[in-house]
Amino acid sequence: MIITKDHIGGMGFLLLSAFYGFYAGDIPLLPGDEFEPFHARTVPYALAILGGLISLALLLTAERKAEKRLRLNNYDFALVAKLLVLIVIFGLALEWIGFLLATVLFLIAGFWLLGERRIKMLLMVSVPFAVGIWFILAKLLDIYLAPGQLFVQLFGG
Amino acid sequence: MLDGIFTGLSTAVMPFNLLMVVVGCFAGTFIGMLPGLGPISAVALMIPITYGLDPSSGIILMAGVYYGAVFGGSTSSILINAPGCASTVVTAFDGYPLAQQNQAGKALALAAYSSFTGGTVGALALLFAAPALAKVSLSFQSTDYFALMILGLTAVAAFSGKGQVLKALLMTVFGLMIATVGTDTTSGATRFTFGSIDLIDGVSFLLLAMATFALTEVVMTVLKGEHREEEEQVDMSKLGSMKLSKEEIKEVAPTIGRSSVFGFLVGVLPGAGATIASFLAYGLERNLASAKEKLKFGKGSLRGLAAPESANNAASTGSFVPLLTLGIPGSGTTAIMLGALIAYGIQPGPRLFLDHPDVFWSVIISMYFGNLVLLILNLPLIPYISKLLVIPRPILIPMILFFSITGVYLVSFNTFDIQMMVVITVIAIFLKLLEFPMAPMLLGYILGGLMETNLSRALVISDGSLAFLWERPLTLAIISIAVIVLVVPPLLDLLRNRNRTRGAEVAVNEGEG
Repeated sequence: MIITKDHIGGMGFLLLSAFYGFYAGDIPLLPGDEFEPFHARTVPYALAILGGLISLALLLTAERKAEKRLRLNNYDFALVAKLLVLIVIFGLALEWIGFLLATVLFLIAGFWLLGERRIKMLLMVSVPFAVGIWFILAKLLDIYLAPGQLFVQLFGG
Repeated sequence: MLDGIFTGLSTAVMPFNLLMVVVGCFAGTFIGMLPGLGPISAVALMIPITYGLDPSSGIILMAGVYYGAVFGGSTSSILINAPGCASTVVTAFDGYPLAQQNQAGKALALAAYSSFTGGTVGALALLFAAPALAKVSLSFQSTDYFALMILGLTAVAAFSGKGQVLKALLMTVFGLMIATVGTDTTSGATRFTFGSIDLIDGVSFLLLAMATFALTEVVMTVLKGEHREEEEQVDMSKLGSMKLSKEEIKEVAPTIGRSSVFGFLVGVLPGAGATIASFLAYGLERNLASAKEKLKFGKGSLRGLAAPESANNAASTGSFVPLLTLGIPGSGTTAIMLGALIAYGIQPGPRLFLDHPDVFWSVIISMYFGNLVLLILNLPLIPYISKLLVIPRPILIPMILFFSITGVYLVSFNTFDIQMMVVITVIAIFLKLLEFPMAPMLLGYILGGLMETNLSRALVISDGSLAFLWERPLTLAIISIAVIVLVVPPLLDLLRNRNRTRGAEVAVNEGEG
């Protein structure tokens, strides 16, 4: 039996619709709402049913062709995962070490991950870029960029 | 109408707005040239910047970026056979062979002239079509709006390609589901927040657009390993002359005229857009060509280059008609602009024409300026702009990532949004690997709230009965079109397949006999 991209997608959406429909029952209603023609659960229930029906249709009509199988061999998932983790860390770093430093470190790490190894290049691009953006935001556009929590705690606000 | 045109003209010629057109066209051309990033990503990257501007300037900037990106896409199609977006794939069919014959300059110039004509025809048609349609749509009621949104959503799904209709519909439903997260506007109940304070306001439009169109597109290039490929160096000395001879102009003029009108009409249809227009115009042109001409197609035919280029620009303009008059976007890019307008507190639709004539008209007028800027400024600068493509990918990619993340962060100043973007990007990557289209989801998300409001109004007025769908002739007509659009193409396919198998059986039987 051949399982194609359509089967995986259809199954995923079927599960999502079931999950969505189940939790639609948790939406609080105002007293008396259940007698109204339209309330906060109407659309979610309709969407859950619609999603379920279309996913079933996709599952039933999906062609079982070998070339439609999901192939993951030629993709660099490891690198993408590293980049996404870097973004998450950047989010946390923004709070702790502030915009400027977080940006410089994010860019250096990003360049490094994608294969740039020349130290001079890493610094020559990231530092002026980050300072430039910081200058535009903080000085020209007057946007308040909070200093990092770490410095506030170490040296006081 | 003349009043309106003057209001628009006076808004559009304000120095700041003119600057926005120029900046938009340049930024768009550059982003559009990068393989993998098309008009949708370019416009998405601009949203955070437009938040700081007033509505007209913001939309003018986005329109400029949109045009620039389509133009930039054609440039990279012609020079390095790497279309920046789907709507310029056809451009590469004849544009790249021309470049290989050392006629890149001519190909670029022809692409610019065709785009300019297409854009001009589109802008003129928009000038007349939009107000007329807006007047008609003033008589629309909530039931008609509900029906129109259904039509918009089904049309996007129906035009998404063979075998993709169900997937596009699923993505639309997914978008509608995401739209229900957060506080319900009518009852105030929180839905699907799972107790998180950060989800009470729902998933923001900016976050969803940036994660699915900017972040995901960039990450996909890394996933496919495209960042390691060295960009093909374009030898600018081989560009050749940018001039077209009189005979060549005579040859392509009718093509450009035909394709522009055709492209505009396709663009007006909700869901069709520039990609389909360019493919159809190329096909049409090839069918009209003489047998001798036909052989040239795909090997550097000027007509084969002019047709898709004029059609895709005319269609880009055409897709503004349903956006500005009905509030229903015709393509992914206009869907993003709709979201941006809503964020400004402006509801596109028939009232836009009356309530915000300055926005309505200045968008139309500045589109024309955009075309002029592309022709006068961008074309001569192409050799310099394409030098930017030399920036190595390992340097460029983290910068684009940075722009998409901080674009969202600087609006909310909530780092939860960054983590949320990563989650959405991961989901989007898997959906893309499974070949699910992204634009219908964004469209569903944007229209979701409006659709729910109109449905609730219609249901309350009709006391819970669904009869409003067939009792009002206009609503019935729109719903019928939606059903036809959705049902007819698959039925035709089915019939064709059945005929083919029957034909094959007959052939086999005859062979046996």
